[in-house]
Amino acid sequence: MGEEAFTDISGKAISLNCQSHSSFCREFTVSSSKVSIGKVLVYTCSVWLLAYTVFFFTENTAVLSSAILITLVGMMLHIHFVKVDHESLLVIGSLGIQVSSSYASGRETTSFIEMSKIKDIVINEAIYMHQIIYYLSVLLKDASDPNAVSSVVPLFQSSKPRMNCLVKVYKSCQEILSKC
Amino acid sequence: MGHRRRAAAVNNPSSQRVSGAPAEAVRVPSRKHNICMVSDFFYPNMGGVESHIYQLSQCLIEKGHKVVIATHAYGRRKGIRYLTNGLKVYYLPLQVMYNQSTATTCFHSLPLLRCVFVRERITVVHAHSSFSAMAHDALFHAKTIGLNTIFTDHSLFGFADVSSVLTNKLLTVSLCDTNHIVCVSYTSKENTVLRAALNPEIVSVIPNAVDPTDFTPDPSQRQDNRITIVVISRLVYRKGIDLLGGIIPELCLKHPDLHFLIGGEGPKRIVLEEVREKYQLHDRVRLLGALEHKDVCGVLVQGHIFLNTSLTEAFCMAIVEGASCGLQVVSTRVGGIPEVLPEDLITLCEPTVRSLCAGLETIIARHRSGSVPSPASIHACVQNLYTWRNVAERTEKVYDRVAGEEVLPLHRRLQRLRSHCGPVAGSIFAFVAVLNYLFLLLLQWLVPDRFMDKAVDATGPLGLWKQEQSSKHRALSKSATKKAAEPKISR
Amino acid sequence: MVLKVFFPQCCNRADSGLLVGRWIDGHDAAVVLTVIHYPFIPGQVKLYVQQMQAQSRVELSVLGSWSLPKEGQEGMESFLRDLSTIFPQERWLQISREIGKTGFHCQVLQRDQNGRAVQQEPKKKKKKEEEEDGEAEEEEEEEEDDEEKVIFVHYEQRKVMLSQLHPIQNGVPDPQADPPSELRQVFQTVAHSDPLFFMDKYDDGPLKSTHWQTEGREASIIVELLKHASVPVCLLVSWLLSVWTWICGMRIFSLYPLRFLSTKLSTCVQLSYRTEHMRTLSSPKAAAGHTEFMRKANILVSFLVDVALGMLLIWWLYRENHISMLANTLVPAADHVAKELDELLQWLMGAPAGLKMNRALDQVLGRFFLYHIHLWISYIHLMSPFIEGILWYGGLSACFGLTFALSLLSDMVALLTFHIYCFYVYGARLYCLKIYGLSSLWRLFRGKKWNVLRQRVDSCSYDLDQLFIGTLLFTILLFLLPTTALYYLVFTLLRLVVVLFQGVLHLSVDFINSFPLFAVCLRICRPYRLAEGVKFRVLSEEPGTALHLLMEINPLKGNTVVQTYRTPTYSCYPKDSWAALVKKLFVGELIYPWRHKTTKTD
Repeated sequence: MGEEAFTDISGKAISLNCQSHSSFCREFTVSSSKVSIGKVLVYTCSVWLLAYTVFFFTENTAVLSSAILITLVGMMLHIHFVKVDHESLLVIGSLGIQVSSSYASGRETTSFIEMSKIKDIVINEAIYMHQIIYYLSVLLKDASDPNAVSSVVPLFQSSKPRMNCLVKVYKSCQEILSKC
Repeated sequence: MGHRRRAAAVNNPSSQRVSGAPAEAVRVPSRKHNICMVSDFFYPNMGGVESHIYQLSQCLIEKGHKVVIATHAYGRRKGIRYLTNGLKVYYLPLQVMYNQSTATTCFHSLPLLRCVFVRERITVVHAHSSFSAMAHDALFHAKTIGLNTIFTDHSLFGFADVSSVLTNKLLTVSLCDTNHIVCVSYTSKENTVLRAALNPEIVSVIPNAVDPTDFTPDPSQRQDNRITIVVISRLVYRKGIDLLGGIIPELCLKHPDLHFLIGGEGPKRIVLEEVREKYQLHDRVRLLGALEHKDVCGVLVQGHIFLNTSLTEAFCMAIVEGASCGLQVVSTRVGGIPEVLPEDLITLCEPTVRSLCAGLETIIARHRSGSVPSPASIHACVQNLYTWRNVAERTEKVYDRVAGEEVLPLHRRLQRLRSHCGPVAGSIFAFVAVLNYLFLLLLQWLVPDRFMDKAVDATGPLGLWKQEQSSKHRALSKSATKKAAEPKISR
Repeated sequence: MVLKVFFPQCCNRADSGLLVGRWIDGHDAAVVLTVIHYPFIPGQVKLYVQQMQAQSRVELSVLGSWSLPKEGQEGMESFLRDLSTIFPQERWLQISREIGKTGFHCQVLQRDQNGRAVQQEPKKKKKKEEEEDGEAEEEEEEEEDDEEKVIFVHYEQRKVMLSQLHPIQNGVPDPQADPPSELRQVFQTVAHSDPLFFMDKYDDGPLKSTHWQTEGREASIIVELLKHASVPVCLLVSWLLSVWTWICGMRIFSLYPLRFLSTKLSTCVQLSYRTEHMRTLSSPKAAAGHTEFMRKANILVSFLVDVALGMLLIWWLYRENHISMLANTLVPAADHVAKELDELLQWLMGAPAGLKMNRALDQVLGRFFLYHIHLWISYIHLMSPFIEGILWYGGLSACFGLTFALSLLSDMVALLTFHIYCFYVYGARLYCLKIYGLSSLWRLFRGKKWNVLRQRVDSCSYDLDQLFIGTLLFTILLFLLPTTALYYLVFTLLRLVVVLFQGVLHLSVDFINSFPLFAVCLRICRPYRLAEGVKFRVLSEEPGTALHLLMEINPLKGNTVVQTYRTPTYSCYPKDSWAALVKKLFVGELIYPWRHKTTKTD
């Protein structure tokens, strides 16, 4: 299935890719925009300029080399731990839900929730920074009380799509969940 | 009073609708408003303002308006919760400074409040209580954003000490371009008009109300071989607990069949405990501690006389509740209390130990001679005096009136501030208003209104709460499970 | 419902045969463990499965048939159907794979009431394949009309068998608790059925089968030899330990001062830990569960690393006479500290930082402390000829491990800074007394008193004399407070420096003792051994076949590994919070680097 363009809560473009492997197995992938060269350049230049001004006054070359090191390490850390390239949600009827997010460096974190633990998937409201947003979340059953909710696993945490995108994913998920 | 329904709300798993229907902006019919109540004081905090907001909102929802409430986070209760009938409450994470009131900086609450106003498509902002810094902030921000505002004042103030002078100045500024002000009694209106230098024409009086069905007399609960005096109040200085500590030994010495029943909790509890220990009155003075609202009526009906020793009070709901339960009411003559009940139902005294004792003596004497009216007749007199429906109708009229008014543009707002609040304070606050406006522009540039998802309405003309049961959407809110903390009352 | 078939990857290319595995109750899932090839005698297969079931205590059964037709082996349908009557089962799977295709076909035969297998027609025909998006649709029995679908989950048998799913559930599962989840059951089934994997298709037995051992046997001679060798070593160590505990248990060590000292000296504490660890290690029984095994392995590895580090330290210490250099610097250093303290006291006795102190009290306190320093210096000089010897023999203790050397160092520091500790205690006691006096007099000042019976502050009317004396005392104490507070402040700071140093030593000893080195190595080298869960990947599906998933093992996160497997030591108990520490300092309570017995219990 094709990609659809949406925006996230701060207005940046993201795309949703729904892939239907079979009638009870669907995969939703939300990809955010790539790291922009301009942004990298701006950050690098600002660090280097700062380092150069310090160097100008102290005349210590260690400053310059450390600035280069800082930018490199910073960039590595950013793409390895911060910048999420795409997040995907794999819903397999009667087996479970798999949530994974892959970072720009290629690192991937995955977690799988078994169907017996899942209570429901809902759209909820939350206060996030200085905004109030909608988000999609998986409710987990409490082991002792089947009607209670023990914890909530928020989905698409880093891309934060807007309501219209969430509704699309939500309906699709409910279709599968109601079948099984 | 909202506590009974509140208890229902706690048990009822308030569920959050999760709907697929995108909330498209449809023009609301002119008679229906989208109201945002803002106050620092809301459940789980307990008191008159809280129940006023809750009951008023419920009645307005019944009339088809959309109501949301914004307050600050209480402990672990933060985020968005739903109460009975889809009343949506935003518990915003703002720092609490003192006495459950947030800090006023005029700026830090703007992003969140703007978010609430925009996504809920608010048309009228209704702020409550002059003690609430968040209410003042909301009035200020609403004017910057361009919304009509209403303010309800629940309390009386002095003019003499430093804190009231400061609060009064703040009140002057924040009420200077508020469209309409509501007070709970004529005394309160007079007080507010003087403090905030207002035009009396934009101040209305709408009293508080009591749910009479909650407070019905039950004489079988009384013990006829003794006379019981009930006091239900927060045990704080403002409620005159020191007076009570003077009254108890004096009367107990004279009348061996006199008993006191005191409900409530607070820092002045120690005064009563010491009195009890000093005069060996453990069997005659019972301290019940904090009462839940549903237990209040059960305590009231055990008594013969209701005593209120407040030192200042804008509108005393406790005496209405006491009278509604068929008790003889003895109260101090302060603030708006004389307006509340007709003269034959209340005995007013000066706020001194001697005067209160004399008042109580006459009632006790009358009680012994059997010349007091029956509880049922008192209840019949009181039950239709104050109802929430009446309050909601009158408030609705205020909304209708306000909705038509225009919001002052920035330059006229600045002029008004300067002319109204004096050259120094006016100029300062005009500057703050300009900064606030610039901050708003910055926020609108960072997160434009069009990128904010419009909230799905639970109440109001497009409210989806009613269809909730039939709808196939599976709904659940994590908040429902965490509402275990049962609120306590201490008034 | 969807039927889930967990299929081992190694059996993908196995020859046709029977599928042996387990049905998982309540989850509609089947775990295939091995394939038994044609030809076989049905009676032998039944016997074999029963034997295996008795050995592994897993409910094994014949699940169905597997066919990978080769050239010229067509038309086996009727034969396959007959098989299902030979092995009576509730459900009978017929999994087949065509040459040149990656996908499997699956048919499910349900038994009807008569015990006769009912064939469900595979509706899927070539022409229908486009519409039906790759599912094997079956008709259920007449009364059940809903369609049944099949998911194939491929797993790597070796990894699943060896991995341990977290959080660990050890021993007998609670009857009240929920049944273990589906994945856990799959893992348990595979892990428990290792008797099944002893026989394979190259054996000469009557049956031939395919499973993970088929692709190459896995075992190590070295490991087996080590296992055998470890038994006498363990016996020796446990004998030594028993001698050691006998020595420790002697009467003389339980006398009061010795016992008190041994709880406070970190060397003794470390010694008892090591004894405890060695006792755990030397028990000749094999570890019962996964946790116990990991615990033993962690202790062993951290012990070896500790000893290795200790040896390194010894090598450095005794190489170029570093010991005497250390000893020669130590005495002057102690002298220097004493001199600095002397100067500090002289400064305090004047007008420190421009503060005006109470002259008389100041002088008394200053002289008192000066006398103490004098005592201390003479003690050090008395000790100085022996210090080198002490260091030399102390250094030898590093052969027991680095932790010993560090603990010894910590104890030596404590002994060398005993004067600072004394100053601190005097200052703190004095300060504490004043604070308590002031607080109770402040209550008197306001006409209140502390009600001990009710644990609250009551109002109280005092006599005039009481009030007068109380106020007088209050004033005196208040004006003397700054002098005491200054002395207290200075010596507390000194004490804190020492405590900080000792704390760092304790922390590093603790770190070496408790860090789960083995678990971390396992996580790095064999990530599948410690599983947090699983992850699935959709294999590229072919239209017209069932959904194929690949189950991979999701390794445990690094910090979870450390949290789960760290050996518990005394640092694992909850510590005082910073706020509590500051409050203690303010009120003037004593602080120690070791923990009180009272705080340990509550």
